[in-house]
Order: sequence, then structure tokens, then C-alpha cells
Amino acid sequence: MAEVSLKGEQRVFMTGNEAVAWAAVAAKVDIMYGYPITPQNEIMHYWTRLAPKYGKRFLQVEDEISAGFTTLGGVMSGRKAFTATAGPGNVLMQESAGMAEMMRLPIVYIIQQRGGPSTATVIYAQQETTLTCFGGNGEGHRIVYSTATHQELFDYTIKAFNSAWTYRFPTFVLGDGYQAKMREPLTIYDPEERGQTLVKPVALVGENIKGKQFKHLRNTYNTEDELYEVVMANQRDWDAMAPKVVEWDQKGCEDAEVIFVTHGVVSRAASTAYDQLRAQGKKVGYFRPITVRPFPDEQLGAAVKGAKKLLVAESAYGQLLKMVKTALYGSNVEIVPMLRPGVGITTEEIVEEYSKL
Amino acid sequence: MAKVVKVALAGEGGQGVQSIAEILAEAANDEGKNALYIPNFGVEQRGGVSIAFVQISDGPIGAPKFQKADILIPLSPRSVKRTQMYAGKDTIYVYDNSLIQEGEVNDNIIGLQYFDVTPPCPTAEQPNADLPADMIAGEPKTCSFTKPGQGVNPADIPEVKKVIAIPANDIAKNEMHPRVFNMIILGAVIAATEVLPLDTIKKALDTKLGDKFKENPELRTMNFTALDRGYNLIKSAM
Repeated sequence: MAEVSLKGEQRVFMTGNEAVAWAAVAAKVDIMYGYPITPQNEIMHYWTRLAPKYGKRFLQVEDEISAGFTTLGGVMSGRKAFTATAGPGNVLMQESAGMAEMMRLPIVYIIQQRGGPSTATVIYAQQETTLTCFGGNGEGHRIVYSTATHQELFDYTIKAFNSAWTYRFPTFVLGDGYQAKMREPLTIYDPEERGQTLVKPVALVGENIKGKQFKHLRNTYNTEDELYEVVMANQRDWDAMAPKVVEWDQKGCEDAEVIFVTHGVVSRAASTAYDQLRAQGKKVGYFRPITVRPFPDEQLGAAVKGAKKLLVAESAYGQLLKMVKTALYGSNVEIVPMLRPGVGITTEEIVEEYSKL
Repeated sequence: MAKVVKVALAGEGGQGVQSIAEILAEAANDEGKNALYIPNFGVEQRGGVSIAFVQISDGPIGAPKFQKADILIPLSPRSVKRTQMYAGKDTIYVYDNSLIQEGEVNDNIIGLQYFDVTPPCPTAEQPNADLPADMIAGEPKTCSFTKPGQGVNPADIPEVKKVIAIPANDIAKNEMHPRVFNMIILGAVIAATEVLPLDTIKKALDTKLGDKFKENPELRTMNFTALDRGYNLIKSAM
């Protein structure tokens, strides 16, 4: 295979972890701070291989709490910075994500979900969906992209940096162990060559405007009222942002009797099941939130209007299901859950569940 | 919808299952097809049964794993048992009927990452000259394919469309070199799947191992002979 590069568009065959490292280079990221955990290790490994060639930096720290906070330090000083983790590491990084919500720091996290709770498996799950959307002692003021293919891992990693630096909320790319470790083709490219704009980072603390006073970010408030004002201002910003960043995908919902609702890698199985069943003339539909935070509530509500049943399939025990139920509060559509915490879901299994309905 | 060919390979850690799968998927990608390869991976990266899933298609590929394989290739008695769930009525089943001694999964191997143990098993009895000595000395070995062990119990072989037994390990050991075992299997996979011409694999190997082949042209001949052998074994059986 030819030397991989971002010059021109290049079709490559690689693991998801490698795709993420290339995406970070493509997004003109300055630095990664990291601590190893399977199945995301190779993001770090590839980044450390690529970084010197592109004049980028890397710092390995002592644990995930530190990785999260050092990344925030990089962000505050005006560097495009990110970190990557999984499972228990994601739990530890919620502390820094909370600070990013409070201080409006555009940090990017790549999450390759593994089995849980605790150490569990190093393999695969969708059990960090709730954690990634709502972890931390706050209101979930963040953006979470749930990817399904290597092309999306590449595209949404680039997009995550733009969203973070545009709206100043912590932004997550939610992958999983399967996406991390599997190999499939994708096209890598330099987004600026494609005419896409990369949002430029700026220093968020210190004397960043000449002649003005030093800028300071607060993380502590003295009174309840003071905090209330700040959280509500953030909430208003988040609410205003939500319709601009929300993304979803849907097929055949217009005349569908049964709609498959899935996110992330499971939507590959749902999409293939949809194609197979449609080819047999079955009235099925497919709906997939791409942003699980903000969740496409209205879009899902509109999509399921004519449906009799929803089959909600996920590799967790009801994390997507809760979001779907919240989105559809008041709707009469019957929801049939297919919950497989910590194990993959295949096309055949979705077709089988459908045939039981 | 374009057909998706689903291949599952399973073997003892170190038998080369993952590299066979990777070369197969890469060659398919080079041909302009869609390919998806995913290993099963856990904390016991060597010292257990290793499974690789490969899917090849002209159209999009769905979930990374599947229920039933079109081609199922277990390469040790233990993998025959472990992969029964992937065998269906339409499956073509290729297994190695050599008498292979399986690796022992004991306390000193469990939990070791792949870089902690000596790689591929044919080296267990015949340490590779190209490996640094400190990688071999004193390290746990996961299995041996040069010592005979018990073979596959015919009762373990599931009901499938077609069963083909090939003594790939014995051929490699007795007629060629233990290290080309995985090339025989790769040839067999190509013949059984019929999604790629054999030349594509040779091209992929030339790209992947070009430097090594240049250094040692005999290595190239040896690998390609093994590849042809595996291919013909299946073609004559089908």
C-alpha cells in the first residue's frame, strides 16, 4: 500500500483507532494528552507516531483524571487538544468534563466503549451512553456524536473540534471497541482542501487581548443565585445550539409499521436488516440518532407518527431506550426493547426479533 | 443488495489466524471491494482460541460480526468446539485434521498481553533466527504445532453443507516449513470463498512482505508454493 497521507483524497483500509488519529491530524489538532486503556490504546500509539511528522505534541500522564485536566489546560492556553479513553477511564474523565461544562471549555474526548460496569471486558458495549451524555454533577451540557462507520469516525472527529470551538461545550465522539479494532475502508482527506473551515482555537485565559485585563474563568460560586444565573445562561446557550448540531438518519419511516431505533455500530445491523426486509416488501423503517446529546426528540417524534411499533435495540440495558421514551413522552406507539448489555447485535438477530413482533 | 461473503477463522493463539484474516481483507480492499475484518480480542491475547471475522462484498457491509458463517475454518480441536455457534446449514466447513497439540492455558499465560509472550507458535520448538534472543529466552510459550497431540473428535463437527478436512499443519511441518502453515490456510480460504483470484493475494503479499521477499527470494517461493497447495487442496475437494 502507498504511504498514507492527507494530500488529496486517499482510500485507506485501517482500524477505527488509526482513523481517529488521522482525523485529529486532519483537524489540525495541536496536542493529545493520554493514558492507555483498551480498546483505545492505538489512538495514542498512532498519534505518537504521526505527531512528530506533523509538528504535533503528546503527553502521557499518570491516569485518566490527569489526562482530562491536562487536556483542559491545553485548551485554556488556546491549543486544540483532545484525549481518548474507555470504560472506567471514561468514569474518571467525567470530573474534567464537568469542569469543561462549567467553564465552557472546548475539550474533545474520543470514547471507545468497552463492557461495564467497572473493569468488565476490554471488548465492546454501548453501556457508556448515559455516562457520556450525562456524566458529571451537572446538566449534561455537551455534544455527543455516536458513530457507526470508520468514515464517520474520521468525519465526526474533525467535526467534534469545530463544534467544541464554535459552541464552547465539551464534545465527545462515542465509538466502541468494535469500531476501535475492526478494519474497513474509508477516505481520508484534508478538510481545508475540501473547502471546509476549521475553527481556529484561541487562548481562553490570561492576557489574550492586548491592553485588556487578564481573563479568568470561574469554577466556584459563592451563592446559590450566582450559580443559578450561570447554569441557566449555559442552559440557554445549549438550548439555542441544540437545533444547529442535532443530527440523525432515517429511512422508510413514512409508511413503516415497525421502525428500528438504534445508535452507533448497532445501526449497521439495523440498516442491513431494514434493507433485507424492505427487499421482501416488509413495511419497516430505520431511525438513528447521530447526536445522542442533543437527542433528535422532535425528529424521532415526527418519524414514528404512523408507526405501530418501535424496536429499540442496543448493547446496553435501556440507556438508549430511556432517551427514546423521554423523546416520545405522550406518544402511543408501542416500544419493544431488545437489550443486550455488553454484547454485539447482528443483522440476523434484528431480523429474528422483528419476525417475533 | 450485493451478497456479503462471511468468513470466520479460528485457531490457537499464535497459529496466524488474525494475519490470514487481515491479508484476506486487505487484498479484497485492494481489489476495490468492501471488506471488514474484526478480531475477537480479550485480555487473554495469547493462550486461547482466537477468532477472526471477515466479510467481503461489492456493496455495503452491516454489523461487524454475524451469526452464521458462509465459510468456517477452525484450525484446532479446541476451535472446532468453540465455533459451533457459527456453523449453519449453508456453511462450508474446512478444518485441519492434523494431530495438533494445543496450548495449555495456565496461570502464567492468562492475562499476558501479546507483547509479553513469544510470538507465533511454530517458534516454540524452533526459535526463529530473526527474533531477538531476549524475546525467546525464558518466556512463556502458548502452544506447539510440532509435537503431535489429539486430533479433532469427529463428533464435534457440526451439521453443515460441506465438510472438508485438510492436514495443513502436517503438510507444513513435514513437507514445507511450520511457518507457512497460515499460507496453506490462506490458499484454502481463497479457494473456498471464491471472491478473489489467487493472484490478488500474491500481489497483496508482495506489497506487504516485499522487503523480506527481496532479502530472501526463497521465502517468496516457499510462501507462494504453500498458498497454491492450500488452494488446490480445496479445489480438488470441492
